[in-house]
Amino acid sequence: MTTDAIRQREQRTGWILVTPALLLLLLVFAYPIGRAFWESFFTKNLGSELQPVFSGVENYTRMAFDGRFWGSLRNTTIFTVASVVLELLIGMGIALVLNQAFRGRGAIRTIAILPWALPTALIALAWTWIFNDQYGVVNDILRRLGLIETGINWLGEPTLAMIAVIIADVWKTTPFISILLLAGLQSISNDLYEAHALDGATAWQSFRQITLPLLMPQILIAGLFRFAQAFGIFDLIAVMTGGGPGGATETVSLYVYSTVMRYLDFGYGAALVVVTFLLLVLAVAIANFLLSKLRARAAGVESR
Amino acid sequence: MTTIDRPLDAQADEIAVAKQPPKPGFSWQRLGVPIAAFLIAVFCLAPILWQLLTSIKVNADISAVPTVYFPTRFTLNHYTELFTRRPFLQYVLNSFLVSILSTLLALGLGAPAAYALARMRIPGEKAVLAGVLIVTLFPYILLFLGLLEVVRALGLGNNYLALIIPYTAINLPLTILVMRSFFQQLPRDLEDAAKVDGFNTWQMLTQIVLPMTLPALVTTGILTFISAWNEFIFALTFITREDMKTIPVAAAQLGGASIFEIPYGPIAAATVLGTLPLVILVLLFQRKIVQGLTAGAVKG
Amino acid sequence: MKPPRVLRKLTTFFQKLRRSRFLVLWIAGLVLTLLVVVPAFSQQTVTLNFLIGAPERPTWEPVIRDFEATHPGIRLNFVEGPNATNAVEDLYTSSFLLGSSPYDLVYMDIVWVPKFAAAGWLTDLSDKVSDADLTDFLEGDVAGGRYQGGLYRMPVRSDAGMLYYRKDLLDQAGLKPPETFAELLQISQTIQKSDVVPWGYLWQGRQYEGAAAMFVEVLAGSGGFWIDPQTKAVGLDRPESVQAVKFLLETIQTGVSPRGVVTYQEEEARRLFQSGAAVFLRNWPYAWPLANAEDSPVKGKIAIKPMVHAPGQESAACQGGWGWGIAKTTRHPKEAWEAVQYLTSIETQRKVTLSTGYLPARRSLYNDPEIVRTYDFFPAMLNVLENAALRPPIAQYAQASDILQRYLSAALTRQMTPERAMTAAANETRRLLGTA
Repeated sequence: MTTDAIRQREQRTGWILVTPALLLLLLVFAYPIGRAFWESFFTKNLGSELQPVFSGVENYTRMAFDGRFWGSLRNTTIFTVASVVLELLIGMGIALVLNQAFRGRGAIRTIAILPWALPTALIALAWTWIFNDQYGVVNDILRRLGLIETGINWLGEPTLAMIAVIIADVWKTTPFISILLLAGLQSISNDLYEAHALDGATAWQSFRQITLPLLMPQILIAGLFRFAQAFGIFDLIAVMTGGGPGGATETVSLYVYSTVMRYLDFGYGAALVVVTFLLLVLAVAIANFLLSKLRARAAGVESR
Repeated sequence: MTTIDRPLDAQADEIAVAKQPPKPGFSWQRLGVPIAAFLIAVFCLAPILWQLLTSIKVNADISAVPTVYFPTRFTLNHYTELFTRRPFLQYVLNSFLVSILSTLLALGLGAPAAYALARMRIPGEKAVLAGVLIVTLFPYILLFLGLLEVVRALGLGNNYLALIIPYTAINLPLTILVMRSFFQQLPRDLEDAAKVDGFNTWQMLTQIVLPMTLPALVTTGILTFISAWNEFIFALTFITREDMKTIPVAAAQLGGASIFEIPYGPIAAATVLGTLPLVILVLLFQRKIVQGLTAGAVKG
Repeated sequence: MKPPRVLRKLTTFFQKLRRSRFLVLWIAGLVLTLLVVVPAFSQQTVTLNFLIGAPERPTWEPVIRDFEATHPGIRLNFVEGPNATNAVEDLYTSSFLLGSSPYDLVYMDIVWVPKFAAAGWLTDLSDKVSDADLTDFLEGDVAGGRYQGGLYRMPVRSDAGMLYYRKDLLDQAGLKPPETFAELLQISQTIQKSDVVPWGYLWQGRQYEGAAAMFVEVLAGSGGFWIDPQTKAVGLDRPESVQAVKFLLETIQTGVSPRGVVTYQEEEARRLFQSGAAVFLRNWPYAWPLANAEDSPVKGKIAIKPMVHAPGQESAACQGGWGWGIAKTTRHPKEAWEAVQYLTSIETQRKVTLSTGYLPARRSLYNDPEIVRTYDFFPAMLNVLENAALRPPIAQYAQASDILQRYLSAALTRQMTPERAMTAAANETRRLLGTA
């Protein structure tokens, strides 16, 4: 057998191994998004008795003037930025602590993963109970501290409801970030710190000058992952507030879900899916650009 | 990736030992770190423990103002209520069925693909990998509309397949990424030797590669099981029959959104039961979960 | 070494095949038996499934028991839904959408009807019911079951918004109950000045469906309209509509209504009124027995009347209520119709009303001696119910209502002027309906 033939056979076997997975991915990921692009050019709702009627870009012009869409986009942005920033800060703190040596570290590390592994919908129920206006433990603590007299209606006030869902999300997903950052911390050689310490640098200086730059790829990757997830947040908010009160916590994904499952407005729902998708792609492209720039700089630093 | 072949803790311990301040005596780190660690534990555990406590309180204590932190009366009524008023055992079984089957499928489809992507030079490999990576960033809300149509067209509504198929797919990217990084670390010599011995690809895979990657499969399987167990939006949309619902959806609908008579106790009990299998998984496989997660994410 | 291995594999393969052939035969046999046995069993009793919110179980359970006792061939299977009615609506919606609905009967709120009918999920009942059959039912309730000429719901419970007032306070001040918006404001201020009550008028201003229902009454009472179901014309930016919003704003500006009224739902408003803190309240009939309960401070001091209106216009009450329909996909349409007839019959409605106090959808029951003995206020309610106005019976009602709620709330919380808010609401509604 020639090497060419062997190579061809290898390629064929390779494709045979990859194809089933690829087909499933195409069915579940590519088809729905492609289909959404197509459907977004049709009016298919209760007004058309659920029959598709071609309507060009009408769904998109409707979206441009749809106050609820812009409101949900604003809510999504606030939620995403606030929760990802908080998670990165707290996650970094936790990772730094878990990277130290102390007794019982293994146990604490296990505990620190726990929130990430639990079902979001159930965690949302737990936080709904914690923020309950009458019997919630948050109100009870505030009352005992003398900060409030009567219970605050956390999930019933627009701003407070947003704060409540952000807190729940931070609790749930910070562990994911601290796991990734901890792995990054562990791959930083200790020699760097020692050399730096010999130069008389303080702990804060070595954090700024060694830890942070070397950890930047992990920070960006974790941030990107979390950004995408937070941008599409559904279960947590659906269970905690259902998007209320008065739409104050309605994110784009909740709006998409209502549009399709409640209003049966398939064409408009498809257009919303398309716009969400494009916004996400844009964000990923920006993050990817930053990441590659950073990698290039890191490579430069190492070779110097 | 160095974190894969060496246990994390061992590696970290070396660093930590080296980091110990040379001079004995007082340092803020000695005092501060355990306190911080304790706070982390409280932060992570408190909401779960609070739910556990609520689930065994009697109703009068649940709705007591001020809140009862150390109840003197305990009850298991909320748990029995779950099983008598609702088909809760059925929910648990549904969750297990769907999660286990989709995990096995994801491994069965993902591991061979990962092997091919790690070992065989196939044209378009880069594009496939990039696609797999990007897909991990897609929120499920982008998929549910199209999948709803597929489910309707195939008549899969209220069929476990309507969950098993998407769950398998959403777990494939992670499976492929994690397994690929494991395969890449496998010494190539072994397979070359096998080839010299006249094994064909299939035999080599089943008889040599598979046994060696069993630990990696377990790691990946745990991650996919967790994500299938936790999934909400597809389970909410594609299953409407009461006796086919999975735990997260059933528990959320137990609550309803009404102001009147929310069954706090049973909800807390449902939370505890629904999270218990995962708590056990985390306790048993903490290290594997961390390895898998870092391999899946950082490799990208 | 190699050939034997191949052989061995081949033999195991064939063994497996034989075993699996057995399996196939066995499964085929099982399926056949099931196909034969299951229908034979199920032919004896027909099971009709339906979904109802959990709090309604005590209302319907005795009715179901009676029905099953008198109709031995039919079993009514109650599936318990979540507490909130919109969650129940969502469950019905998603199960119909999947195409394999497990439900035969549909217990519907009035605003679901156009949506469910337009989606083709309900059986048209119009050829089963004659006009004579419908004469006893309240007009608004029947109209609420119609969509584009078809009849999709048989009413069982009625509901309408009304004005509650403190008879004692008005008598004290020597005033007659108000007819117009201006009179309501005047009377409120007069009584508020004498420091007997802090507030004049309580209504529902939170951003939710209840506010849309409340607004329909003010809007129709001002001579305006929301959406014409026939022409799909939108009337929200007409002067009458802006005037309606201005009236609501005025109640807050003049201190007749508390600022917090923009966050009130029915319960907040009722509790405050029941504590004796206001002269007027807009609410549904459910508040009557509660406000007249033994421990209520306003017990025996209140009365009801149709909503106030602009001079030269008519009162309007927002129509609510529940009824039964039949799923199009049901495999037992005959039995389902039998059940619906029973569930909406005079006897059933009387029984339900007597046990719960819900308003029936049949006129004759409002003067039924047995019912009036228990609920002496029923004849007065009938007067309000006859004036009830529907929320626009269009298929996209839920979305249109959402638009109105958002802009109404923006105007009430002073984020937008009434003119700007209503213009924006009208334009957005037109884009939704494709009439822009």
